[in-house]
Formats: sequence, C-alpha cells, structure tokens
Amino acid sequence: MQPIRNPMAKLAIHVVLIVFSVYSVLPMFWTALQSFKNVRQANSRTPLFIFEPTFSNYADLWLESTPENFATVGFTLVAVSVVLILLALSARFLPVPSSYVYVGVTLGFVIVLNVLPRVIDTAEFYDYFINTLIVTGGTVVISISIGCLAGYALARYRGITGLIILIAALGFRALPRMAFVLPFFWLGRAVGLHDTLFLLTMTLVAVNQPFTIWMLRSFFMDIPKELEESAMVDGADRFMAFRKVIVPIMWPGIISTALFTLLLAYNEFLLARVLTQSNWTLPVAIAQFTGGEDPGHITLASAAAVSATIPIVIVILFFQKQLVKGLAAGAVKG
Amino acid sequence: MKRGTFFQFSAPSIATMTLLMVFPLAVAIWLSFNFLTFRNINAPSFVGWSNYLEVLRDARFWQAFRFTLLFIVITVPLQMFVGFVVALLLDQVSPKIRGVYVTFALLPFIVVPVVGTLMFKQLFEPSGLMAWFFRSVLEQRFILTEASVKSLIVTHAVWYTTPFALVTFFAGLQTLPQATVEAALIDGANRLQQIRFVTLPHLQSLVVFVALISIMDMYRIFDSVFVLTEQNPVYRAETVMVYNFQVALTVQRIGKANAMAMITVLAILVVLIPFLLRTYREQVGGK
Repeated sequence: MQPIRNPMAKLAIHVVLIVFSVYSVLPMFWTALQSFKNVRQANSRTPLFIFEPTFSNYADLWLESTPENFATVGFTLVAVSVVLILLALSARFLPVPSSYVYVGVTLGFVIVLNVLPRVIDTAEFYDYFINTLIVTGGTVVISISIGCLAGYALARYRGITGLIILIAALGFRALPRMAFVLPFFWLGRAVGLHDTLFLLTMTLVAVNQPFTIWMLRSFFMDIPKELEESAMVDGADRFMAFRKVIVPIMWPGIISTALFTLLLAYNEFLLARVLTQSNWTLPVAIAQFTGGEDPGHITLASAAAVSATIPIVIVILFFQKQLVKGLAAGAVKG
Repeated sequence: MKRGTFFQFSAPSIATMTLLMVFPLAVAIWLSFNFLTFRNINAPSFVGWSNYLEVLRDARFWQAFRFTLLFIVITVPLQMFVGFVVALLLDQVSPKIRGVYVTFALLPFIVVPVVGTLMFKQLFEPSGLMAWFFRSVLEQRFILTEASVKSLIVTHAVWYTTPFALVTFFAGLQTLPQATVEAALIDGANRLQQIRFVTLPHLQSLVVFVALISIMDMYRIFDSVFVLTEQNPVYRAETVMVYNFQVALTVQRIGKANAMAMITVLAILVVLIPFLLRTYREQVGGK
C-alpha cells in the first residue's frame, strides 16, 4: 500500500500499535509486578503499582532455606557468571580458537550449576530448572547434528525418495502428539525408561526432526553447490567438503534453526507431562502452580513464571534478528 | 548427489524419526485394539473395535470435539485478521520504531505457553488487573463460568497465536512489488481497493499457509486449555487433546485413549492431506 503522509493518520497508527504492544505485554508486566509483592499486597483488591519490592518469593521458590552465607554465595555466583560471559563475548580476540573458549565457558557453567546445590540449600525448582537445561541442551545438540546431515543431503539429492521423506516428515509433524506419546509411555514403562530425561530428550529430537530438516534444507539450498564441488575436485571427499566448506558458511542458518529447536524443547509441556513422574521440567512444574486455595500461590506462581521466562528473554535479546529472519524465511518459502 | 551418499547422510535422522515416530504410531494403532489399563499394563488383551465404538458413543468426546471445532472457527479468522491489520500498520512506520513494536508483539509467541497462560490467568484472578477492571469500570464481578472460561481460552489463543500470522504477513508485505501499487494508484484505487485488489491477492498463498498451519495447531491445542480449566469438567471447555489426555492418565484407559487419538488423526487428515499435496506440488514445481 502507498505510504500514509497525513500526520493525524500517522499518529493514529502509532496509537493503535502502542495499544497492541500493551495488549501483548500486559500479562507479563502484571505477573512481574506481582512477583515482587508480599502475599498481602498481591491479593489487594485495588491493584498496587507502587510498593516496596521484596525478593522473598524468589528465595522461597529457589531455596529450601535462606543460608547465612547467602550474600557471599550470591556475590561469587554473579562474579563467576560475569567473568564467564565476558570470556565468551571476547572469544574472538583471544589467542586460542574460539570454539575452545565456548566449550570452556559451557563447562564452567556446568561446574557452577553442579557445585551450587552443595553450597546452598536449593529447592526442587532448581532441580526442575537443571532438568530443563539438560533436556533442552541435549535436544538442540542431537537434533541439529543429525538434522544438518539430513538437511544437506535433502537439499542436494534430486531423487523422488528425498521428497517423499520430506512430505512424510511434514505429515508426522502435523499430527496430534497424543498419537505417539502413549506408546512411549507404555513402552517406556515396559523397558524402565519412563521418567528418564534420556527418553524425553530423544522423543523431543524425533518430534522436532521434521521441522529441523525442512528449515535446514531450505538454508542449504541457498548455498551454491559449486562450493563443495570445487573442494571435491581438490581431493576432499563429500563429508570433508561438507564439514570444512559448507558448515562454516551455514552458521547463521544453523543458529536460526537451533533457536527454534531450543524454543520447542524448552516449551514442551504435553510430552514432558506424560513421560515424567518426578523428573519434571519447568513447564510441568509451573502447571502445578495454577489454582489452589492458598493465597500465597499467586506470588509464588508469579515468581516461577518470571524465573522460567528470563532465560528465554535473554536468548531472544541476543538472537532476535535470527528469530524474525527464520520466521520470515519459513513463511515466504512455505 | 548419489542415492547411496544421500542415505549415508540422512540415515541418523531417518532412523530417529522411524524409531521414535513411525514405530510408536504403529504401536498406537495396535494398542487401540486392545483393552489396556494401568492394572494390566504388561498384558494388553485384544478386544477388536470395541474401543473405537466406545469412543464414538462417548458424549464427552463429542462435546470436546464440538468445542474444538467451534474454537478453531472463532480463533483462526480472528487471529489472522488482527495479524493482517497490525502487519499493514507496521508497514507504515519507520524501520527503527518498527523493531521495538515487533519485539513487544513477539513476546506472547516466545514465552513458554504454560507460563504465558499462567500469566494471562493472573490478570483474571480476583486480585488481578482485569478482574479489578471488571469490578470498577464494568461494575460486575468476573467469575469463572462456562462462558467466561471459554472466552478466556479464545482470548488467550488469539493473544498467543497472532504474532505468527503478524510476522508472516509482514514478511509477505515486504515482497509486494512497488510497481503494482503504483499502477493501482494511477488507476485511482483508494486504500481499501488497494488492499482488496493488490495486497490480498499478493498474500493469497501466505493466507492459505497461515490458515492451514493455524487450523492444525489449534486442533491440537493442549497447554493453555489444561492450565485455564485446571481440568475441571464443569466448564465443559475440554478440547479433544485435553479429554484424550484425561482418558489416558486420569481414567487410565490407555487402549481407549489410543483409539481416540487415531480417530482425531483421521479427522485432521481432511486438512492435512490438502496441505501435504500443496507442499508436494510446490516442491516439484520449485525444482
């Protein structure tokens, strides 16, 4: 449509967009506000916007008891995290290969998360958080590794078999989850894998695989095949050419796809609910916070909701461009 | 690429999907012909079609099915309309401010669905902002009844799914050729005519795409309904997936639940098959 020039009309457009933004953000805003109130303030019949914020809901959620050395532990935790993040951000300028730095930083965080429960008395919510990290991380790594290989092959292979696999995968992706999840439940109990993070991770990998191979394939198709052909003329075999020539220029596409896989794994409720009994992930744990007669459930649920949202918001702040690009790419091609 | 190489590269992915999707589906079909509860979990007994007949005679299943259809019919057009209008407006503002609006608009899509639903619900708790709005401005109490819970489910679904339609349509608008718009201008088309005769035809395939995806997504909606109704049957707001879940894990009739899952799969094929055919034609044509 032609651009609107009338200033009043322009103003009206911004008003509508601001109203839409408020509508999009209002639930998060309100929940975040509730999470910093005490129980009495949160249950007040007239909404309070100005109050003295308390962190006790977060402490109740994450900690079994508030330790005396809390300030020291908290300070050390923040300091170590800041150092690790700075290290990751400056990886490019360090004299060692960046991938070593990233692996080192990841290991650092793993160690911190492992040591933490021994230093302070963490509550169950912390365990669910760790479970979620393991399942999400595992799903992204496995799904992207095998998905890259398949996506590349599907982009380059011209036979009808490839197309049939793609269409079948799409069909399976669109089916209601209930159709596969009950056999997992049944078989998982039979072979003793029920309530393990392994079964949940592999199920998520399988469920996300159709999406992953479709998206990666579309990115691989944008890369001219002359690139790996010239490498192969120089004596590299197909896999070598793929690893040394194609993957390095595919990183933006891989990150985009990994981001969607991460969201799908982090968000999954139904599979996690059916396949776990005590090894919950965050969505399953948080679904327990709804309702209840106890007036304290509002503040605790709010703190849980905000806690689960912060990691995702951080990831999205870093990668919003790739997210929008991925959505748009899927849409325009789809 | 040769056929052999193709299979070498794609084997891990195909193996995972076969082992963890095709095989379970086959097991599900087999289980749907068996009587299986938690008591005889290791010894399913074959009962033929009786699970299917039981599902088809189950009034609660049909109630859930009707509600799911009603829910799709209301939600999908609403979400697409809002997404389309906001995309048109976003197209009019400068790219810098647009980024801020897009960030806000994407939030409902990014947040964990269970958490998003919980946050949405907080607004309508007696202590929530919307409940207060109802009390002080509309002067009536917001209470959870069948009608209000159903409206909450629809409102939340629109809130949660609009970003997808919005971003898709917006991306489509960016590819609208300027020459067509100018031609329409010269012919004296007003804004509504431009939308009707230039923008919409250009977005036609995207509209179909979003509609099909949304119908399939809304058909299997689970998380938000589960949280908003707290599985309470008094609201009669169960969707097919939620009722299916209850039959499996609350009533613990796994065989019957599998039969129900198969019936819902058959029902969605009405939408799924055209979608797959369309994709197939596009892929063949694209080569």
